[in-house]
Amino acid sequence: MLLSELFLPVLMVMFMLTVGAYVVAVLDRLIAGAFGAPQAGRVWLAPMARGAWLMTQHANATEAPDWQAWRLAPALYLALAAIGLAVVPWSESLVATDLVTSVVLWGSVEALATVVIFLHGWSANALLALIGGYRYVALGLSYILISMFVLIGVALPAESLQFTQVVASQEALWNVIRQPLGLPLFLIVGLGMTFWGPLNLADSKDLAGGTASEISGPPRLVWDVARAAMLVAFSGVAASAFLGGWMGPWLPGPLWMAIKMLAVLLVLLLLGRVLPRIAPERCVTLMWVVLLPLSFIDLVWAGIGALL
Amino acid sequence: MAVNWLRKLASHKRAPVFPVLGKQGDKALRYLALSPEIELVDSPRHASVLLIAGEVPADRLEPLRRVHDQLPDPFTTLWFRNEPWPHLENVDRIDDLTDLPAALTKAHRELMTGQRDSGCRILSDRPPNPWKGEGDFGQGGEGMMGGVPYGRPMAMNMQEDISDGLTLDSLTFRLGPFFMAFPPGMAAEVTLQGDLVQSWETQLEPYPQRLDAVFFNARKHPVPIAEIELARARHHLQRLYHALHLAGLEALSLSSLRLAHGLSTSSTLDGLRRRLVRSGFFHLAAVGGGVLNTEQARQFGGPAARAAGLADDLRSHDAGYRRLGFSPVCQDGGGVSARWKQILDEVEQSLMLARQAERDEVYTNDVDCIETPRGPWDEQPPEDASAILDEILPGLEWGDALATIASLDIAAVADRGGGTQSPGESRAVQGGSGNVVK
Repeated sequence: MLLSELFLPVLMVMFMLTVGAYVVAVLDRLIAGAFGAPQAGRVWLAPMARGAWLMTQHANATEAPDWQAWRLAPALYLALAAIGLAVVPWSESLVATDLVTSVVLWGSVEALATVVIFLHGWSANALLALIGGYRYVALGLSYILISMFVLIGVALPAESLQFTQVVASQEALWNVIRQPLGLPLFLIVGLGMTFWGPLNLADSKDLAGGTASEISGPPRLVWDVARAAMLVAFSGVAASAFLGGWMGPWLPGPLWMAIKMLAVLLVLLLLGRVLPRIAPERCVTLMWVVLLPLSFIDLVWAGIGALL
Repeated sequence: MAVNWLRKLASHKRAPVFPVLGKQGDKALRYLALSPEIELVDSPRHASVLLIAGEVPADRLEPLRRVHDQLPDPFTTLWFRNEPWPHLENVDRIDDLTDLPAALTKAHRELMTGQRDSGCRILSDRPPNPWKGEGDFGQGGEGMMGGVPYGRPMAMNMQEDISDGLTLDSLTFRLGPFFMAFPPGMAAEVTLQGDLVQSWETQLEPYPQRLDAVFFNARKHPVPIAEIELARARHHLQRLYHALHLAGLEALSLSSLRLAHGLSTSSTLDGLRRRLVRSGFFHLAAVGGGVLNTEQARQFGGPAARAAGLADDLRSHDAGYRRLGFSPVCQDGGGVSARWKQILDEVEQSLMLARQAERDEVYTNDVDCIETPRGPWDEQPPEDASAILDEILPGLEWGDALATIASLDIAAVADRGGGTQSPGESRAVQGGSGNVVK
């Protein structure tokens, strides 16, 4: 009982956190190299060398930070990524936590991420970090709303808020085809929620790293791992909600899931390398004026589909 | 044992370098950007090596000390074409640009493997200004108002909102002269409301820039138009690199830099322009603000003026250019987007002129007044224009403000040439990644 309901799920999530963050780092380097970024040494070794460097570097101080919040925020973000990974089903039975409300739990992860990212920026008591935090809060609500509408859309045909049921409901037709607006909208939400690439407004270059501009050493390592792990968790949720999860011919379910997660990850990382960072004002307009109404349409489409 | 293993692994990382740019230090920055062994970082907190590139004037030494002490342990410094401070131990000076990447990598590796001690702190670990806040937490005064704790004004709602009606507390701060998104040497006092620039006061002008030596030669005697136009295009492409880096388009920024380094009359801009347009740079990125009115544009001169629709270009009066059928290209709009479109058009035009001039062996004719990439140089070289930022940045969001600064070539032109690209630099760039843009 203890083994199957506590130790194994925890081990599984830890494994996914570690391997997932490493895969993200390697893939991102490979993509950057393909686009012409200078590369030195072996790509597979680079993330480990970076991790080792951050482990040996001291965690610095700023003037009068909110110490508890500042140190806790990266760990909290990592914990949120772990919660997200815990609800991702790898097969009908291989899922760390098969909650009947796992879709709702993922929604709460998205909402709490806003709090944690702001906390990270605010608690450093430094200017650029604070602006990064402000920016995320200004945009976070729009991401969450779109995400919720899209996820309710996939819950309707499943008549369940459980990811395993959402996957099972796609046996005849994947949601990516049944609800064509859903996945593109959800991918944009993913870039925003994980503040990656074009929607990296919280930790951006114009803020010298934003909420992470003042951190070094182990806290930075935790923050970087948490961001990568959140991207993996998001890919898992996207693959479950729209790409039929573990379903597929010939190969075992977990392998199909891994392939689909990798595909989503590749798309997100690729977008991160080819698009410029969107201006915050344009981003707000895009979210509220274009994407939010589209998510309404997606929901109505899903509702009509469920009724027919 | 485990620690040794960890340090050995850490030494394999690309050297994380925070560059502090002194006078003419930006050349080193662009060179390092293409070095595979070097990772240039935007915050001193993310570095293990502090590179002081070029001479830092006396009035920037205090900020340099503060930046120095912001690097987390273990860290070290390396001085490029600048004399290290005498009280710093185990610090190297490098004068040859081509030796710089190897020296930075060596410094990082020695630091990680324990062969080199971490640098010592210069400043004492106490606030730089006395506590002048009222109350235990500086909140003092009445309610939440009053006090300047540690010399910094409290965030207070004292100014009227100038944009969207959402009034937030104003936050005043000083930034620079080593902030990576500013031109080298520039510092400003800024008041923000949330993400919105409420006021901007440029406190330190950027260092004067040294243009390619060909522009100075052109003031003395006729020079080949092919040479001067290639230097002009190179200057613009190097500026484009900074703007694209800021916009998060890392790959394109490096393509721009590679194109600049390997520029010849056979180079074309087509590939870079196509990728830039397809990336959505002109629609998605922060290129919507920073509009210069006619008076400001005229005062600025050069590509910024032509981007605002003013067809002023001293090349129009030069017999050599007239022989090539030169006429200025212009945009209308005068904002960030128009300026970058103008720069792309001018690079393309320069490459075309260079090809024609090389074929027909055409030289410049006028020597007393020339058009530099920064603007017209008749009696005096183009002067510093950073004061104009105080007028055009208020009302913009932070990202738009920085994009506006990146789009304006505001630094004065120094009255001495900076020399052309060294052959060693060119070789290293082309060999660095094996990816030469033609």
